[in-house]
Amino acid sequence: MTTTIANPNQRFETSANRVVGAGIVLAICIFLLVFVVNTAMVQEMLGYTRQITARVPTFFIRMALLLTAVAAGLFMITGHSYYKRNKLAVTPWLFLAVGLAFFMVYVIVPIFQSISYSFTKWNGLYDINGVWTGKWVGLHNYRILLDDPNFWTSLKNNLIWLVLYMLAVPIGLFIALFLNQTVTGIRIYKSLFFFPFVISQVVVGLIFAWAYNPEFGLLSEVWGWFFCEMRENIVGNLTRVCSVDPPSILGDSKKATYGIIAAGLWPQIAYCMILYLTGLNNVSADQIEAGRLDGAKGWKLLWHVVLPQLKPATFIAIVVTVIGALRSFDMIATMTQGGPFGSTNVLAFYMYEQAVGEGVGRYGYGSAIATVLFLIMLVYISYFLWRMYQDEKEGN
Amino acid sequence: MSLRFTKLALGAAMAGLFSGSLLASDLVITFDDLNPDKKAAYEAAVEAFKAANPDINVVANNGDREAHKDTIRNALQNDAPDVITWYPGNRMGPFVDAGLFTDISDLWASDENLSSNFNAIKPTMTRDGKQWGVPYSYYQWGVYYRADIYEKLGLSEPKNWEELLGNCDALKGAGVTPFTIGTQYLWTAAGVFDYLNLRTNGYEVHNDLTAGKIKYTDDRIRATFAKWEEMLDRCSFVSTHATMDWQAAISPFAKGDAAMYVMGNFSVGQYKDAGLTDEQIDFFQFPEITAGVPRAEEAPADAFFIPANAKNVENAKKFLSFIATPQIQGDWNKAIGQLPPNAAAEINADDKFIVEGMATLSTAAGLAQFYDRDAPAAMAKAGMEGFQKFMLDPSALDEILEGLDKVQAEVY
Repeated sequence: MTTTIANPNQRFETSANRVVGAGIVLAICIFLLVFVVNTAMVQEMLGYTRQITARVPTFFIRMALLLTAVAAGLFMITGHSYYKRNKLAVTPWLFLAVGLAFFMVYVIVPIFQSISYSFTKWNGLYDINGVWTGKWVGLHNYRILLDDPNFWTSLKNNLIWLVLYMLAVPIGLFIALFLNQTVTGIRIYKSLFFFPFVISQVVVGLIFAWAYNPEFGLLSEVWGWFFCEMRENIVGNLTRVCSVDPPSILGDSKKATYGIIAAGLWPQIAYCMILYLTGLNNVSADQIEAGRLDGAKGWKLLWHVVLPQLKPATFIAIVVTVIGALRSFDMIATMTQGGPFGSTNVLAFYMYEQAVGEGVGRYGYGSAIATVLFLIMLVYISYFLWRMYQDEKEGN
Repeated sequence: MSLRFTKLALGAAMAGLFSGSLLASDLVITFDDLNPDKKAAYEAAVEAFKAANPDINVVANNGDREAHKDTIRNALQNDAPDVITWYPGNRMGPFVDAGLFTDISDLWASDENLSSNFNAIKPTMTRDGKQWGVPYSYYQWGVYYRADIYEKLGLSEPKNWEELLGNCDALKGAGVTPFTIGTQYLWTAAGVFDYLNLRTNGYEVHNDLTAGKIKYTDDRIRATFAKWEEMLDRCSFVSTHATMDWQAAISPFAKGDAAMYVMGNFSVGQYKDAGLTDEQIDFFQFPEITAGVPRAEEAPADAFFIPANAKNVENAKKFLSFIATPQIQGDWNKAIGQLPPNAAAEINADDKFIVEGMATLSTAAGLAQFYDRDAPAAMAKAGMEGFQKFMLDPSALDEILEGLDKVQAEVY
């Protein structure tokens, strides 16, 4: 006890042994990871006869080394006097470090990589020596893009998605208002309305694709009651003959995109509904009562008293809906794969199809599409960040 | 110190898990077909190879065909197996050009069986004058039709375009849609295009088109599309084809609502699964359009290749030699109902489609690999979208062909 008081600065000093020790461990780990540990070495060391079976232990050894290295690194930093003196400032960054590192490696760096690929013609392959096989073509991909009808179709569909997907917000609001009452079993109704959001998008896509199917879908069954009859065909089988053919929603280039959006709206409405339901819980009863006393009711009450209080919910609903519209990828992939003849493509899917899908392998061109999509998103995101910033300022 | 101890402990634990014979060398094979019959035939061939080479430790992987088209890029560049399946023709082009496949011309030259029994398919396996793979199977394309409906209406197999159109008129008169097709995944439409083009212009022009030497707006290609329009008009296809895949398109055929199907021989099993018998279905070669054009056929082949990164090349070559033998080629293709590329292999003489297919292909003037394998993938994608669009809206022809010219100028 006396020693601590005698030298109060000691706890800020570098623990030299600890830093040096951990540093050595860190160096050894990195050296082993980079230069020593490989399948052949593990094969040799553990007495395996085959490369293939040596892969699993190699993985474990590498993971163990990596974790040891991270631990040693942390040990080293926390032993240093700088850290000890600036604990409060540095610690949050230490916690963030791993996340930031991964964010850099998997998000920030690829953005710039992909932008740089957009100026090249490349089929996605490296040759046997690991040499990149593409070539630099400058703005060529962008010139082609401007002249590509599929690109314009995709861009147009992106806009249609953005506009129509927004319907989810008001519809979600009205369902929320409708469900926001105390009736026996209301929780069950709420759960049922929320249900589509729980289902995976892929499943929603499949269900709707079946419902739309002009041969055996729900829609065509209903259609059949009015326009079709069963007749015997030439070989004696019963077959359906229609005076007016049932609409082939996903097979018609003019209707297909709307068909997919309708399917996408189903879970999105549920999502907006739940956002508003939680928002409605926080609407102050006093203000509504005050509004009532002043003679407001119906639309007026909703518009002037309830909605302003739901502003945070509306903000989030709009943000998630816009994001949902822009990443409408999985619905399209399950329902039409961009077809018929590319008429339901959106930029994200067109990019995937040109670069990675089915070995088409136009990586440069795909990257150019991705860059355009990125710029569009950037405009939107900047606008919202700016809005949020303004709101924060006003809030103070 | 402790690290070494951990390693030893790990080693002891793992040794128990992965014990194997000490002197064995490895062979890792990646196959790409999970359909039960295909899978069984592949596994049988691997078992036979194991029995013949007990000192080789074979690891036989298998995966989904569509997924394989994506994963092969990674597999070839990073963690390559010793033998991998892929398609010959232009589809192997990018990998050959990037140096990711091993040149096996020496095997083709030294292996007696390969150099003498594979002459018909050899050009398909060749690029830059070298051979890159060994085919294990191929199959014919043509028109499958409802023999019972034909009989009922007194029709016979058409020998030329006029007869085909005549048959279509009779079928439509009887309330039967002449052709079924499912273009949701696009490639089925390419089968129709290939045949129309092969019959209108012949193998050379078709090959030049898919090799990028002829434009889509060329008059000869326009002539092909004119025939197609005639076909759409008089031999209409089922109206909902854009929302059906090729299996779903079998349903109107099986029910008797549609009478013909331009397809590959792999579809026969599905017709039978749908309840049709050998008496109800039959096969004819796509009829002649331009008189005097030598008859070329579609015959897509599946092949094995050795990645350049393979670790056990000698074993891989042994395997390729093995699967090329008449015995294995015969057994394999009997099991999956396809044709052996090896001319000396036995075929299943009880299967009328196989017998007819062998006759069709062995007398053909040229063998095309199918549009999406003859043309580079980027061209094929755009081309097949164009074909689907044309089938839905023939009036958009000019726009489609000009669009395809643009893509062609870009991807070759």
